Amino acid sequence: MLTMIFINAAVPAILNPLVVLVLCVFAGVATVLMLPGRKEASWAKVGGVVAVAVGLIFSALLVRYTATVSPDGMGIYFWVFSAIAIVSAIRVVTHARPVYAALYFVLTVMASAGLFVLLWAEFMAAALVIIYAGAILVTYVFVIMLASQAAPDAETIAGQADYDDVSRDPVVAASIGFALMGVLLFVIFDKAEGVIRPVKPLNIKVYVQDGSATPPIAAYDGSTQQLGQYLFNDQMVNLELASLILTISMVGAIVITRRRIVSTDFGDEFVETPEPETLHGPATPVNDNPHSIPVYGTKNPRVKAYPEM
Amino acid sequence: METLALQHYLAVGAILFGIGLIGFMSRRNLIVMFLCTELMFQGVAINLVAFGHFWGNFSGQAFTIMVLVIAAAEASLALGLVVLLFRQKNTLDADAWRELKG
Repeated sequence: MLTMIFINAAVPAILNPLVVLVLCVFAGVATVLMLPGRKEASWAKVGGVVAVAVGLIFSALLVRYTATVSPDGMGIYFWVFSAIAIVSAIRVVTHARPVYAALYFVLTVMASAGLFVLLWAEFMAAALVIIYAGAILVTYVFVIMLASQAAPDAETIAGQADYDDVSRDPVVAASIGFALMGVLLFVIFDKAEGVIRPVKPLNIKVYVQDGSATPPIAAYDGSTQQLGQYLFNDQMVNLELASLILTISMVGAIVITRRRIVSTDFGDEFVETPEPETLHGPATPVNDNPHSIPVYGTKNPRVKAYPEM
Repeated sequence: METLALQHYLAVGAILFGIGLIGFMSRRNLIVMFLCTELMFQGVAINLVAFGHFWGNFSGQAFTIMVLVIAAAEASLALGLVVLLFRQKNTLDADAWRELKG
């Protein structure tokens, strides 16, 4: 038998649902206090303190739970990575400035990549860092810069837009979100008896049970190669589908953001119009001719000159 | 390092998913709303990789690659839509498009 399966039949109910429910209620109140809104900044600090306290209590309960489920040692890495991921995720949600939210999201992605490494998924960790933190987040920050620069009328005195300062229905959102989270945690911790324990790492073909033979690291040959073999042998259609989705989304993004917007007043009868009506924005090309892109500037390179709206 | 149970990773994934859901419902900036969907993708990806690891096969990682592909496609299309909407009303407020409901 290559895999050893432990059935944890009798796990003591340390994390009973009432405790999880109370913790979720407190965390919900803390999140409501931390979400941006029209209230004093000291309430956000109170919310942060409450959230940290709830997190510490929950992690302490989880440590006790871990000591009963798998008593033979616990790694520190899981706790550090998951704490960084969760704290920065809360900051993503509660930070009023979108650029800072994006940077905290980078931190969440890095911590998730650390969790992937703990799960023997090195390729996924690298892909997560490259794709998420490298490509997607650059796109997000670029769009944030593009969109927040040219809206001077929507800003308040503090240089901050109103829709970033005031969140919409924080009580309802926190109630629904923490209700979902509480139910998920309850199901995970209460109904997960008989879950398979991680005895066999992914890449070890033969696991010697008595532990006296070759150590498991000797048989470890990297999960990237096996993942590639699995992808190209068993998941070929999915791989082609992924490339198709990426191509379609690229073409679709180009089509969506094209400049020319034909007004729909023409109706069904197709009249011959020499040039459809277009919307002209500031500093955008009128048509596909690259010489039609207006060039702005002054003789002095230190002075920025932007077109009048 | 190999002694943690599956529940730990599932708990982290569930917490990330819940936080992302809260952010998606409560924030009004369109870009931050899509950032919160990416947060929910993160929770799902952690769940998938953890399940794949604990079952001892590569299906979880293959699904996570699909999640990454969908996330990239969603980011490009959604940000294109955000740029388009921003050109129309000159604001990123999701409530500016309130007349679209119904």
